[in-house]
Amino acid sequence: MSDSSNPIRQAEHKALPPTTHDEFARQEFVRSYKQYLVKNVHGANQLAYDKRVKPKIKREKQRDPKDRFEVRDEMVHDPHYQMFSALLRTSQEMMWSSCQIPVQRNLESMNKIINKTPKKPLGSLRLDPTLATPRYHTAVDIHCQPGGYHSEFADNDASAGMVYDRGVHLYAMGQMGPHNNDIGASIALWLTENHPKFKPLKILDLGCAVGNSTVPYVDTFPNAEVHAVDVAAPMLRYGHARAEDMGKTIHFTQQNAESMDFEDESFDLIVSHILLHETSDKAIRNIIKECGRLLKKGGMMVHAETPQYKGMDPFDAFMLDWDTRNNNEPFWARSHEIDLKQLSEQGGFDPNKEFESMIPSAFQITEAKRSLTFQGGDFGGGGFWFIYGNEK
Amino acid sequence: MAKLQRKAKGERPTFFQDSNVDKVIAMVMGLAGEVAVMHDRMGTMEHLLEKKAGIKRSEIEKYKPSPKVMAERAAWREQFLGEVLRIVEIEQEALATGDTQPYDSAVALVEWDG
Repeated sequence: MSDSSNPIRQAEHKALPPTTHDEFARQEFVRSYKQYLVKNVHGANQLAYDKRVKPKIKREKQRDPKDRFEVRDEMVHDPHYQMFSALLRTSQEMMWSSCQIPVQRNLESMNKIINKTPKKPLGSLRLDPTLATPRYHTAVDIHCQPGGYHSEFADNDASAGMVYDRGVHLYAMGQMGPHNNDIGASIALWLTENHPKFKPLKILDLGCAVGNSTVPYVDTFPNAEVHAVDVAAPMLRYGHARAEDMGKTIHFTQQNAESMDFEDESFDLIVSHILLHETSDKAIRNIIKECGRLLKKGGMMVHAETPQYKGMDPFDAFMLDWDTRNNNEPFWARSHEIDLKQLSEQGGFDPNKEFESMIPSAFQITEAKRSLTFQGGDFGGGGFWFIYGNEK
Repeated sequence: MAKLQRKAKGERPTFFQDSNVDKVIAMVMGLAGEVAVMHDRMGTMEHLLEKKAGIKRSEIEKYKPSPKVMAERAAWREQFLGEVLRIVEIEQEALATGDTQPYDSAVALVEWDG
């Protein structure tokens, strides 16, 4: 459960922008607001559906609703769903705003700190100003973060990273742990438990943002060389500074995961963390193909997502689909309906070595307390992550 | 000074027939957030004043709530949100208990056979 009696405080590091008393309080309010919606408002959507919406559909069609579209057509008129949605959307906007305020105030000084190269850097940062930001990334600002991951508002700007790192903590209501690293930590734990003999020596994280999910691989596989790519320079600048301050060796490069400059068969493990649904139907296929090219024989790719809609109750699928239209996630719906086995096969993988699994959250194993309530919508309360992958 | 973008690119969804209702909800919750900020600040002043009279603003800015205080504040906010969103809660309660009969049915009951 999003446990209000035990609020998790985000771990501090050099790149995290400082907050005044009131700036911190404003962010804490957003966390409580989101927890409140999960705990006290979200659940009644089911009630409204069972008592009002489903009976109406059954009356009119003389049968149960057959898919999430039929549920949607009626639910959007339900007063509780309308109120819930308006409140959730508002919480998302207030979250980004509350994270932006201290970043705006500290923009110059924090950019200076973040861009200062350490005397003896552990990892590296390679930016490519000529790299085109993909259209699926610029069509709308994903997750409603103003300016998205890519926009720059000052020279060598890292503000998107500063806003994002704090925003992720609030979005997950602290449930991704003090370092926002739960998704990476959960896959790393799953690998050590389910593939104890697999000791990757070269690891690549795709769409790494600020590298929050990348760090656990450095800890779990200390002998591995860890690389991370993203299209957004502000995220990478921040991620590099953050990793250096945390003492983690990561090599960040600004690249599009659809086409990278690494050599064929040069990685043992390729991972991504809720990346695929942010791309496009064309890009997702290119990315899987690229994984196939970069992996060594015996290597593995693992992608964390939220569960596919297939086999899901129409109402649950409708609720999980909230973010598609209401939180700037245009590829969310389609990406949850793609045949993953086929995707693997098209990417050159052996479909017999494809796997899909629900894996427990590493942070929640230690915390051992979390509800199974999804926030919208989106992740941030599941207690489990869905993984899709393929051995090569 | 460079200024961050405030609106996320993309059409903002609305959920009510009159999109101004969506905006009013955003305003009400924005205001609720600012009340919660003031409550935290008052709590911080109370904590500092328990130790000594006469405190500086910089001491308020430097104050870091302990895990215990953070939990107390989170509990306060939950109750506060329950009050702000009372109307949403009672409608859920009515839906759950089946308290959805029209008021006229009560009038009819007492006027005709109550």
